[in-house]
Amino acid sequence: MAAAVIGESRSAPEGGAMSVEQIERGLARLRMNEDGSLGARASVLNLIVVTDEESAPEIAQVVSSLSGHYPCRAIIMISDPDEERSKLDVSLSAFCSLRHGIPGGTGNQICAEQITIHAEGPPAAHLESLAGPLLLPDLPVFLWYPNGRMPRPAESDGMAALADRLILDSGGVDDSEAFMRGVAHLSASGSPEVGDLQWAALSPWRSLVADLFAPPERAGELGKIKRVEVLYRPVGESRVLLFVGWLASALGWRPESAVCGERRGREFKFSGPSGEVTATLSPDSPDARLRRVRILSEECSYQVSRHRELSDVSSTVMRGDELLAERTVQLGSFDSGVLVGEELRYRGRDEVYEASLQMTAEMLDL
Amino acid sequence: MAGSLQTDTQLSADVLLDDSRLPKVPEPGAMVIFGASGDLTARKLIPALYDLATQRRLPMKFAVVGVSRTQMSHDEFRKKLRKTLNEQRAGKVRDSVWESFCGSVFYLPGDTKKAETYQELKDFLKRLDGERGTRGNRAFYLASSPTLFPAVVEKLGEAGMNRGENGGWARLVIEKPFGRDLESAKELNTGIRRYFEETQIYRIDHYLGKETVQNIMALRFSNSVFEPLWSQHYVDHVQITVAEDIGIGTRGAFYEEAGALRDIVQNHLMQVLCLTAMEPPVAFDSEGVREEKVKVLKSVRRIPRDKVGEFAVRGQYTSGWVWGEEVSGYREEKNVAPDSTTDTYVALKLFIDNWRWAGVPFYVRAGKRLPKRVTEIAIQFKRTPHAPFAGAENLEPNILVVRVQPEEGVSLKIGAKVPGSGFRIRSVNMDLLYGTAFLEEVPDAYQRLLLDLMLGDPTLFIRADETESAWDILDPVISSWAESEKVAFYPAGSWGPAESEELVARDGREWRRP
Repeated sequence: MAAAVIGESRSAPEGGAMSVEQIERGLARLRMNEDGSLGARASVLNLIVVTDEESAPEIAQVVSSLSGHYPCRAIIMISDPDEERSKLDVSLSAFCSLRHGIPGGTGNQICAEQITIHAEGPPAAHLESLAGPLLLPDLPVFLWYPNGRMPRPAESDGMAALADRLILDSGGVDDSEAFMRGVAHLSASGSPEVGDLQWAALSPWRSLVADLFAPPERAGELGKIKRVEVLYRPVGESRVLLFVGWLASALGWRPESAVCGERRGREFKFSGPSGEVTATLSPDSPDARLRRVRILSEECSYQVSRHRELSDVSSTVMRGDELLAERTVQLGSFDSGVLVGEELRYRGRDEVYEASLQMTAEMLDL
Repeated sequence: MAGSLQTDTQLSADVLLDDSRLPKVPEPGAMVIFGASGDLTARKLIPALYDLATQRRLPMKFAVVGVSRTQMSHDEFRKKLRKTLNEQRAGKVRDSVWESFCGSVFYLPGDTKKAETYQELKDFLKRLDGERGTRGNRAFYLASSPTLFPAVVEKLGEAGMNRGENGGWARLVIEKPFGRDLESAKELNTGIRRYFEETQIYRIDHYLGKETVQNIMALRFSNSVFEPLWSQHYVDHVQITVAEDIGIGTRGAFYEEAGALRDIVQNHLMQVLCLTAMEPPVAFDSEGVREEKVKVLKSVRRIPRDKVGEFAVRGQYTSGWVWGEEVSGYREEKNVAPDSTTDTYVALKLFIDNWRWAGVPFYVRAGKRLPKRVTEIAIQFKRTPHAPFAGAENLEPNILVVRVQPEEGVSLKIGAKVPGSGFRIRSVNMDLLYGTAFLEEVPDAYQRLLLDLMLGDPTLFIRADETESAWDILDPVISSWAESEKVAFYPAGSWGPAESEELVARDGREWRRP
């Protein structure tokens, strides 16, 4: 039964430099209802986010939106190690949700906690010393660096030791090549496990492309692919590179050469099981980060393409002018909250991602 | 496996699909719904299939064929379905997605008692194999009146449709009720098995598709703190309640024939009993789980016919007040006989004669027009052997309540010291609402079950011996009640008749108020 959810944000009046004990006491107080009852705390994970002053409000909102689906203790760390002066400022909030519309429901509240730590100067270079004592025991730790941030080497060491999984976003960087190489290097070290929001965003696309070849009569076509054409928006390059990396690693293509095309487009050549395969990446989409994928074999063309309204996507299979199959489904949302949510759902090494990332790094090294 | 170099040009699509992040999509196939003009199709089956399609959980090559006597064109059928979907999801059905989905929905008018309907259906499905690539795979969903089940199965068999075309599969889905008693259930099962193997038959009880019901198994078999206590060593008795606050609505004619025993106890309640009492399955697969459930049903002690009065109570609601509303009694409902003895409430005392549960009574009850809708399992533990406190004789036992709906969770009643001088113990209810911890949108039960059907996973469907064993337990009650006029009345809005209280009180116990 779909129950209405009413959320209530509560903020602690106190703040400033607080001790661990003061923080824990403050959070418990936030769960206290007006009638003196205590809202239950439900937690399935710890989420640490490392961000900057500018992005912090947006990130806090995303984290609040996640609290219902992934009840957690969230620690948002606003870090500025370049400031000379040491500063530590803590604020606390809780997001308590109440289910209504259930006859006989007791209206119990479930609260998720959010701790925001603003660290400047030397403390900002030792975030692990602040995050570590605040983690809930016995629960996994996810460490999210939004907007293309990468762990600094020093940070990376300390924070990585705390985390079970590192969530990055290769979509928010200017130099996606350097970033992807960096992620590949991190991922190769194996600990912690690494995820990328741009990879999470590819799941529906990969599923739709795989479905095109699912009927047994088409599976043979996978070995006969000659050409892949991808239309994307320039900011979506890392997503597209990962997509081609996935196809190449899954289908056993060996990267041979790369050419930077017009208007920052790219062309890769691979040697595939039955000859040369060309992948053309065209940054001509005005809106969607990934607009269209077209795969051409000797006989057929396979296409997955977003509609103009972007929420729907159509898959088609053509032989010449003959339409062999077609369908339209919803593509789903690519909001940060949704993508981070998918990463929070994932535990363990993602071998398909690692192989795709490694292939992407090889492609970029050509 | 990704990353491995392939040299063969014959690659399987598995190289793209072998990925835990990507959903498992069934093989191409067609679903034929008999009784397609009925409510179940428009209100449950099509919305569930539409949701699966929009979530990319159905194969591209998929078709639905509705069969019913009503004369309709494909388009009229689609419009009817769209209308109901629009009513359910005001403004949320996307035209482009619906158009794509409904292009795979077809309708074939025909009398399901006539052989020519099946020939026509067979030809139509073959055409779909060619045009839409459904590859000879068919699922036949019997959503029609149960009286038609035997005829449809027989005609399908005679038309050779009990086997998929060209090496494809054929599956048969049957909605409850699975017969009216043991004899009719056996007859139905025998009739079906003349044409379909047991592995092809999917008996659907949507209760098993509910996340919350499946969570009973998760709670029991993924938490080692509960399982060691889950036996006659520590458990005094178990109470299972399946309560509804609603009456029979417009279903008077149906309910007069069914009653709570057939409508709820034989299926939903017996399933909850099985999940509560079963041994840990070797694996969470169709045979592992169903085998353990059948063992429970076989271990339930049969009630001697001449002692039904000691173990069972038949109740019927009279007028009363439910949630601030005055409601009429059962006999005043539409299409109900003024002297009806139909059970709207059932209470049973059952024993499971096996090593784990020997001597532990299971009190189960189900009813309509009770104070609220709730399904829960209450495990009452034995008292401590000795308590060294003053007033220890008043110590209350621990109770672990597994609430299935509406607010899924676990509640444990434990004794704690009242602060202050002296040593007074008082019971405290500790609630753990593990269901509400996640605000995930829970998939509809039909969505889950239809997907399992297409994937060929019968774990959450009911096997023939399960239905027969459940009927076998209830048959003495059914036949005894059929010969008696005795009904215990209870006012709507109460927790059942006084006789039900007595059933438990005779053992020195009492029903919990859920």
